[in-house]
Amino acid sequence: MRASGAGAGAALADITVQVSETLALIAAARDVTVGCSLKEPVWHCGKTTLYRYLPLTAATRARPVLICFALVNRPYVLDLQPERSLVRRLLEAGLEVYLIDWGEPDDADRHVDLEEYIEQHLGGSVRCIRSRHRGERLELLGVCQGGVLGLCYTALHPDAVADLITLTTPVDFQTPENLLSKWVRGLDTALLERCGNVPGELLNGLFLALMPLRLTQQKYVRLLANRPDQRAVEDFVRMEKWIFDSPPQSAAALAQFVRWFYQENRLMRDTLCIGGRRVSLSDIRQPLLNLYALEDHIVPASASAVLGERIGSRDYTGCGIATGHIGMYVSRAAGAEVPRRIISWLAERS
Amino acid sequence: METPRTGTSFKPEEAYAAAAERFFELMKTFGMAGGTSTDWKALAAPLATQFERWLQMSQAMTPWFSAATPGPFGSASFGAPAAAAFGPLAFGPAAVSSAPPARTLELLGQLVRLQGELARHWSEIAGTAAQRFVARLGAAPAAPATPQQALQLYEIWVNCAEEAYAATVHREDFSRLQAELANTSAALLAEQRQQAESLVRALGLPTRSEVDGLNAQVKDLRRELAGLMQSRGATAASGGAAPGSAGAQRGAKPKRAPQVRPRAGRRARGPKR
Repeated sequence: MRASGAGAGAALADITVQVSETLALIAAARDVTVGCSLKEPVWHCGKTTLYRYLPLTAATRARPVLICFALVNRPYVLDLQPERSLVRRLLEAGLEVYLIDWGEPDDADRHVDLEEYIEQHLGGSVRCIRSRHRGERLELLGVCQGGVLGLCYTALHPDAVADLITLTTPVDFQTPENLLSKWVRGLDTALLERCGNVPGELLNGLFLALMPLRLTQQKYVRLLANRPDQRAVEDFVRMEKWIFDSPPQSAAALAQFVRWFYQENRLMRDTLCIGGRRVSLSDIRQPLLNLYALEDHIVPASASAVLGERIGSRDYTGCGIATGHIGMYVSRAAGAEVPRRIISWLAERS
Repeated sequence: METPRTGTSFKPEEAYAAAAERFFELMKTFGMAGGTSTDWKALAAPLATQFERWLQMSQAMTPWFSAATPGPFGSASFGAPAAAAFGPLAFGPAAVSSAPPARTLELLGQLVRLQGELARHWSEIAGTAAQRFVARLGAAPAAPATPQQALQLYEIWVNCAEEAYAATVHREDFSRLQAELANTSAALLAEQRQQAESLVRALGLPTRSEVDGLNAQVKDLRRELAGLMQSRGATAASGGAAPGSAGAQRGAKPKRAPQVRPRAGRRARGPKR
């Protein structure tokens, strides 16, 4: 077989030009901003800040929505830019939206454990919001690991939560396709905890290692292939910023999360205790909407879909969406479908 | 607008340029540089070599395994000042031995052995990926002559490589190795920190263990205070607090009885190596 010499050479030269053009666009987009909706801090606890988004329209619903994001990533991915913002879609629908930002744990926070995050940080946020809304119960929207925290909180404090929405939330941490689970199952969590807070870069490296070529190489080549304009490159760089903007993790909380959920699968085995209190999914009797991604390499669909079988609620809606983990927050298709489903599901339960 | 707290790891131009460079390397291997014959079967070996090298480089950059060298875990080289062969009785920093303790050497040896095992996995993955690629191409007609063809070939390569990678990294032996590597790195880091603590103590500075101990005491006292206040009905049932207020900073842990945790605080006062 033979390459048509001139054709191949010209193609390579063409690609070279494309690479340098795209590189220039990326350099120009380096300082692109993220987060588009106005918000105000309303409460603090340790490094955690509770934000209230400023409404875009008259309120259509009395109950406020509290978004509880994962500890391992920044929540601004839910409000990345106007056309890719779950937060904005909720605001446009007249919902009152609050969001927990866990902040940047430092060495003083290395002993902050899951109980503290759930009871004080999340619980304190709930109490603050309820006091601002005449004691009204709220709609809790938990995302990924934040969904796990939300499940725990709702099981422990059923009177505070009216409806629960979980997004890409793992419940069964030991499904066969869960590579992350396989890798961390043999970790010595006591030793991990002794080493102090875990840098965000370390966790990020772990996530990227799940599919290294796709996540560190192919996406750039695809960007090149699509001949992007400046706007497309800015969208791309926004996502890159978010992906590489991972906060450090409190040593105690991360060690507990790995041990209790990944290694011991306590939610599934119904053996989880937080602060000496049993956390049982069967105690969750609220209406629950569970949205998960069908092509999720971090939280496989099977890890999430099982939730409906475990909770005590009879009002359960589970829905798999054809996208990946991050696609649930930012892809065009899911960007329309996820908020639409949440808004209509909530409207049906007013 | 948010200000991302991206660290040194966020360099989109560099990441893009590096990916483009590897893409070119691959295309050249595919015979795209022009005029070279493309015998797909003969490509398996160079492809495997390239991929294996990339896997090793990527692994070397992953902080899981970098405890032995300065890395994101914060592990630095804690070389203590060497004690003089002759001179006054060692006191202060000089009292700390400069020789790496046996445990450190043992862990380093273990790390080298595990990395050797990992290298064998990379080699297996790379070889399998290349074979899959060659098999999938079968009797493909020629090397890519257009950018579109090059990109199509690249997609096939990525699919083959990821499939080969997944087939290995899902296995129990690989997962066990990953955990062992992480545990050994963590143990090494803990060992290095212990050495650093010895030096810091010799200099009369507070150690991490002592700071942790104080932190634990403060937390226990806060918890005890919150419990007392709650029992006296001094705290409101709804716990919201304004930003920056004392209540907001402290929060409350109503469900656990006040207790003194004997973790870091006690350890700090215990005997040190």
